[in-house]
Amino acid sequence: MSVAFRNIRKVFADGTVALDDFNLAFDKGEFVVLLGPSGSGKTTACRILAGLEQASAGHIEVDGRDISDLPPRARRMSMVFQNYALYGHKSVRDNIAYPLRVRGTPRAEISHRVEEVARLLHIEGLLRRRPRQLSGGEAQRVAVARALVWQPDICLMDEPLSNLDAILRLQTRTELKRLHGELGTTFVFVTHDQEEAMTLGTRIAVLNHGRLVQFDTPKETYHRPATRFVAEFIGRPAMNTLDGNVEAGAFRAEIFALPLPRRPDGPAVLGIRPEHIGLYTTAGPDTLPFRLDVLEVVEPDMLLFVTSGNISLVVRAKAEAAELAPGAEVHLAFPAERLHFFDPENGARLP
Amino acid sequence: MAALALIVVVLVITLTPYLWLVMTSFKTRLDALADVPIWLFTPTLEHYPKVFLDKDYLPLVLNSLIVAGSVTALSLLIGVPGAYVFARHDFPGKEDLFFFFLTTRMAPPISVVVPMFLLFSYVGLIDSRIALILAHSTFNLSLVVWMMRGFFEDIPREIDEAAQMDGHTRAGTFFWVLLPVAAPGIAATAVLCFILSWNEFLYALILASFESRTLTVGIPGLVTPHGTLWGQVAAVAVVATLPIIAFTFLVQHHLVRGLTFGAIKG
Amino acid sequence: MIAGKLASSILDRGVGPLFLAPSVLLLVVLLLGPFVYMVVISFTDLSYALPDRDGNFLGFDNYRRLVRDDPVFWESFRTTMIFVFGVVSTEFLLGFALALLLFHHIQRRRVILTLLLIPMMIAPVAVGLMWKLMLHGEFGMLTYYLRALGLLDPQTALLGNHQLVLWTVMLVDVWEWTPFVTLVILAGLLSLPREPFEAAVMDGARPWQIFRDMTLPLLRPIIALVMLLRGIDAFKEFDKVFILTGGGPGNTTELLSIYTWRVNFRNWDLGYGATNAFMVYLVVLIFCAVFYKAVYWSRST
Repeated sequence: MSVAFRNIRKVFADGTVALDDFNLAFDKGEFVVLLGPSGSGKTTACRILAGLEQASAGHIEVDGRDISDLPPRARRMSMVFQNYALYGHKSVRDNIAYPLRVRGTPRAEISHRVEEVARLLHIEGLLRRRPRQLSGGEAQRVAVARALVWQPDICLMDEPLSNLDAILRLQTRTELKRLHGELGTTFVFVTHDQEEAMTLGTRIAVLNHGRLVQFDTPKETYHRPATRFVAEFIGRPAMNTLDGNVEAGAFRAEIFALPLPRRPDGPAVLGIRPEHIGLYTTAGPDTLPFRLDVLEVVEPDMLLFVTSGNISLVVRAKAEAAELAPGAEVHLAFPAERLHFFDPENGARLP
Repeated sequence: MAALALIVVVLVITLTPYLWLVMTSFKTRLDALADVPIWLFTPTLEHYPKVFLDKDYLPLVLNSLIVAGSVTALSLLIGVPGAYVFARHDFPGKEDLFFFFLTTRMAPPISVVVPMFLLFSYVGLIDSRIALILAHSTFNLSLVVWMMRGFFEDIPREIDEAAQMDGHTRAGTFFWVLLPVAAPGIAATAVLCFILSWNEFLYALILASFESRTLTVGIPGLVTPHGTLWGQVAAVAVVATLPIIAFTFLVQHHLVRGLTFGAIKG
Repeated sequence: MIAGKLASSILDRGVGPLFLAPSVLLLVVLLLGPFVYMVVISFTDLSYALPDRDGNFLGFDNYRRLVRDDPVFWESFRTTMIFVFGVVSTEFLLGFALALLLFHHIQRRRVILTLLLIPMMIAPVAVGLMWKLMLHGEFGMLTYYLRALGLLDPQTALLGNHQLVLWTVMLVDVWEWTPFVTLVILAGLLSLPREPFEAAVMDGARPWQIFRDMTLPLLRPIIALVMLLRGIDAFKEFDKVFILTGGGPGNTTELLSIYTWRVNFRNWDLGYGATNAFMVYLVVLIFCAVFYKAVYWSRST
């Protein structure tokens, strides 16, 4: 089964363009993450897929068929909401059972399936409770159980982890990954957290200002970001970027003069990830001097915030690599194979 | 759309009767009593001065104003502080006492007015505005208390605490800080009080039937078995209702809260 | 200085009783007092019509008379019951439907809602008057059109017809109070959280299922409240019936409140009239009690 957004455009009543010529296609069994900052259109895309919103233009295809006119209940998709949206007046059991009940499933089978999915999510003991008696994590699992109990083709999740505390969030993340592995259901997961995206997704669709910027595996997205935006959005801490010029075979920006034999001349944006910068305490043939401003030790790594003139960079290194104090002089190397270049105008990746 | 058509029908049904009344107040006797209803006519203003000046109905307007105004003032004066106590203080039996306030609304006016008539007669207060004002406050007081309780509860407690840190007593907090903040709520409550008192009929009929009678009581006075001067009585009804409709537009946001024991915010 | 301290102590800790006492006092004096007095008189033969009846104690005679010897009272009771249950159920159904219509299909609700409020904001006496005008036997606007449509024959006027008058009066009440039901239920609908409804849509529920499983259960407390309020007010109905029909023709629209008024302020039979008044209190009380029971019973099932 394949799912596709084709030329989706969504304009809201007040004129905001939420999605602009959005195209995305993926296959059954994937865990697709829609990642982007707020306002990027990711929730809108998810809701259009669900059928809760109508696109202003374009259509949705499933297995080649245009389903844009189908109501949500005919699309074989379920949804987990950010605020769980549990039915406060029903018990947990009745909440989970509801999708089966409205489809006329026989009572015995409902019971069986509810218990099965409750076991899957470790909430067997909560079935008799009411939503207001549940903790955040429990409520969230009930919401997921309700979304999975009737075995939909696609399970949509709109920032389901955002309301959980940090520890719970990590635990639930692992749970979801396990569920995906066990059930093989297609997941479409909306989030603004790039770490969630990187750990959960089989492929990540990065959105910005209503457009799809990149759709790749986490690894590809990390190592070959398609635009400056993706480069700066993915990774924590984000990639260092520097505006400068390539002249006479070298990248120049203030003290920078990195020899790059095969680069054409012209303005360019240099990018390098903090963990790829080489850290030395003494000067070397390819190093440039920087002053250490702030040091954050997060065992087993450390983050160095360095400056030279107007240039500030972040470097990630192993904590035992050196004994350093703020104000110290460090020497950084920039291996050519780790450099990324972007067009200063449109942010696109340069070859 | 079909829905819009339905709403239009509903609106026509809702508004036509009142429209007809207003039109009647401006129709000549001939037009008003025509066999076939007349929708287009030459309006006349004759009925208004005839009933308010010649028949001396102007004092009725005054009575209505004085009674409704006084009832509102009295109910607010006594009820708003009481509502504050319910909103901010805890004491044993609080909800039971509040329930008592609610039950006063259940009292059937006819049952209240019978003994009240006798009692007021004994003290010589029959057919006085005071009697009516006191009678009306029996139902308006509860209205003020439960409506204002909700408004006060909407104000975050931190405001009280800040005022007390600034040196106010609790009474001072109420008077100098909470009242101004709750002013819109008080205004809405006042308007609703005024409307309910102005529109009231039964108490007025029994307790203020002649000298102090209000506009509402003036209406049946013009409807006699011998014949009714429809133009005039319509004029009275229009004067009795038009200001209220104007007030309604002012207070419609808070109507739901006021009419449902404050249970629903609307 | 001590006086000052005392004053500020009262203004601080004494606020509770200080602020509450006046209203409690007023209500006790103005309501409880007359209530007690009413019960007292109900055991006497007080009458303003007959000079020798100045309040002699009668024991339970008045009550016996009401229960056994006053078919008019029981006729009035029956009429009131029909009136209350008729108008409350009709206003509920129509009001709910209208609220749903406004909620789902209309965008510019504020303006329409304000216009719809007019019937209930007009003094009930004036409501009675305007319908009396429209239903007049000779020149009533509605009477004319009903006859023109063949629904009413030329000799009949709605307000004078023994079979039709009660229904007519009930119709006027429906006209007056349905907007109130609409307003309250619409407020309730607007207060419902949206996400569980979207979840129900995603769970596959059809509109009627969503209505049955979500809207109705969630609105139940509001529905109960609005029906209770309308019920109580319907029992108390006086103003517009007084002017529309005065209880007539005959006794056909003589609601309890109107009958009580007649006994007290036409016949001036005040002792018996107090008995009547007490019975009206009782009826309203029993209605409220039964209603609460019904609501709580269905809550627990």
